[in-house]
Amino acid sequence: MIKVTGLEFTYPDGTTALADISIDLSFDDDEHITAIVGPSGSGKTTLLQCLARFLTPGQGSIEIDGIPAISMSEAQFRSKVGVVFQNLNLFPHLNVLDNLTLAPVEVAGMDKGDAEREAMEMLERVGVSNLVRSYPSQLSGGQAQRVAIARALVLKPDFLLLDEPTSALDINTTNALAELLEDLHSSTNFIIVTHDIPFVRKVAKRAVLIQGGRVVSHDLVEKVMHLFLQQNENR
Amino acid sequence: MNLDDRKWKIVQRHLGYSDDDIAQSFNSVYSRPGKLIQSGLFATLLIWAAIFWLLFSFIAPKVEASEPEQLTVALTGKYPPFSFYDQDGELTGFDVDVSRGVAQELGLDIKIIATEWDGILAGLLSGKFDAIIGSMAITAEREKQVDFSRPYYVSGAQLFVNAENDTEIGSINDLAGRRVGAVLGETFEHYLTEKHPKIETVTYKSTVDIYQDMLNGRLDGFVTDRLVGGYQIQSAKMPFRPAGPLLYREQMGIPMAPGHPILLARINQALEALESSGFMADLHRKWFGPVAADNAAVRSGEMSNRTIALMLLEGFGVTIGIACLSLLCGFLLAVPAGVVLHGKPSPLLLIVRTTVDFVRGTPVLIQLFFVYFGAPQIGLTISPVTSAIITLSINGAAYMAEVVRSGLMAVPPGQKLAARALGLSHFKVFRFVVWPQAFRIAIPALVNSSVALLKDTALVSVISVAEVVRQAQSIISVTYNPMKFYFIVALMFFVFTYPLMKFAGRWEKALKKRGYADD
Ligand SMILES: Nc1ncnc2c1ncn2[C@@H]1O[C@H](COP(=O)(O)OP(=O)(O)OP(=O)(O)O)[C@@H](O)[C@H]1O
Ligand SMILES: [Mg+2]
Repeated sequence: MIKVTGLEFTYPDGTTALADISIDLSFDDDEHITAIVGPSGSGKTTLLQCLARFLTPGQGSIEIDGIPAISMSEAQFRSKVGVVFQNLNLFPHLNVLDNLTLAPVEVAGMDKGDAEREAMEMLERVGVSNLVRSYPSQLSGGQAQRVAIARALVLKPDFLLLDEPTSALDINTTNALAELLEDLHSSTNFIIVTHDIPFVRKVAKRAVLIQGGRVVSHDLVEKVMHLFLQQNENR
Repeated sequence: MNLDDRKWKIVQRHLGYSDDDIAQSFNSVYSRPGKLIQSGLFATLLIWAAIFWLLFSFIAPKVEASEPEQLTVALTGKYPPFSFYDQDGELTGFDVDVSRGVAQELGLDIKIIATEWDGILAGLLSGKFDAIIGSMAITAEREKQVDFSRPYYVSGAQLFVNAENDTEIGSINDLAGRRVGAVLGETFEHYLTEKHPKIETVTYKSTVDIYQDMLNGRLDGFVTDRLVGGYQIQSAKMPFRPAGPLLYREQMGIPMAPGHPILLARINQALEALESSGFMADLHRKWFGPVAADNAAVRSGEMSNRTIALMLLEGFGVTIGIACLSLLCGFLLAVPAGVVLHGKPSPLLLIVRTTVDFVRGTPVLIQLFFVYFGAPQIGLTISPVTSAIITLSINGAAYMAEVVRSGLMAVPPGQKLAARALGLSHFKVFRFVVWPQAFRIAIPALVNSSVALLKDTALVSVISVAEVVRQAQSIISVTYNPMKFYFIVALMFFVFTYPLMKFAGRWEKALKKRGYADD
């Protein structure tokens, strides 16, 4: 469960990206994926960065499973919350396998062999086990996306934040990604920031609509979508 | 306002800024980091200059000159006028004067050891002394054992005749059937009996007996060393004159034990300097009087190819050694410096930035002199090689720090975030994600810096480090062939730099292929 209360964030240049965000993201057995949607500039990425502790909010609090995020140690926090960046940020100097094993070995202190075994398993689950020795520059957008997800998932986070996961994908790979997330969601809860509505429809049951740094609606996807489309039309 | 701030203020006021300017610059320094560099740079430079000046003016007077090394040479002390003891029992003579001149030219103290001619070469080979400055003729036989310097004087067998009586005698050929004296067992006797059988060779036990018989008319002439004869005429006021050219020539060199090409080269340089300064000519006039003129200038131009190759290779070894050590130290300094330069504004950044700019903005040659001549003034005695390595390390570090900084800048910020998101500590983010990428990106520029540094080693010849350029200069001072040897040295450098430059180019292409620095 992630609970956000009265979150406010202002960039150093004075832009208030998040005005007052309060949301309860509770996940249960049949609900593992929540989408955060909103028009461009509404504050989605800023919110995600706050959730990932890359930005420190001016006001408000974030609780992860009842524990305030700011009170958690870096190690504790990172083991709970993973991130897949919009541009993935795979490490170009490491091959796929090493991209996956770096953190398990260097952070979790796992044995290299064990880490590689788990990484292989994960790569198989996301369907790119044939690419272990490839370098990121040799991967297609969809393959890279899967590797980035696998890299985050080998650490077994409770929550995984994904920023615009479909922005670089064509319709087929987007569909494949949707299937993948459905396959994977048993152990990890996903929070997806996006404005790809068809994708949200496919993968999420509930969505949060934010606008101008405020939560406008937090409801079933269909209702939120309706509201979102309506407001977009009104513009 | 803390102490630092106050110092700043004072400096800025000295620079003619008004208080308003100062206040403004302070605001900009502490609130907007971007301006930190611009406004602080000049002031920091000034502070640095002041610090150095103070340091030097305080410490300099207390420093004593470091003790020079010593050059130990051997001679017999029994060969007037080259080496002998005067009435006061002081060792003196032409060779003694040459020894002192060479040592002075080298900037070394001189120690002269008088030893028997018999064991003199053995003593040299066993390292009892550095060289023999004792009128040793350069012979093929001896050259098998020792390395000779260029000849420092030329002498040989000379016919002397009575100056008043025998005016008609022009050369040894005019003396067929007449009596000519020589010391028994000397090479001159063998020469006369072998080459001039028509002459009646009369042998004596010493030159003194010969002079006696010359004076009372029993001899028509005598053969001895040209310079020894000249000295007798000069010092004992004997009425003799040399007749005809040298019967044969001998070149006297300074032998050294093999394996000291650097000292040998320096001695050669010293000899050349002594000749061109007129020192040698003066010595000839002082010791040999009438025969001085045509012996003063000794030119040779000979140096064996083996010696040349050895000197150049040894010199290049020194060059590469200095370059490698400087590169290593420079790189080790450049990494933290580059990280600081890439980091957030801080006093440390200001110091590093200013230092890097200062080093990059001043000639290496001046830096070299600064370290070499400056170090003794603060009480450090460092060798020329150490000075060279220190200077080139710092210079290389300054350039490489910039390279490291731009390498770090070229790593997309997302990489750092991604690594942090995986839970890596700050150090591990740097160690495993940022640095490997920055380094790969920096490699071509680092290689170029290395090439520049390698070339800069040529400058350290000015503080008499025996690297390859210096060696070439030594060779050229003997052989008088600058084109040839400077070209060879250039080639030696090129053999090293060319593959490096090629490698840098290849790597750059490979980087682009791997998709670095463009996401
Ligand atoms: N680094 C920044 N500095 C200043 N203002 C910023 C910065 N990043 C974003 N903003 C501003 O904050 C607001 C929210 O931006 P944010 O990137 O969170 O929006 P978004 O919902 O992710 O938009 P998009 O859908 O286009 O990605 C915008 O007005 C944006 O201009
Ligand atoms: Mg965004």
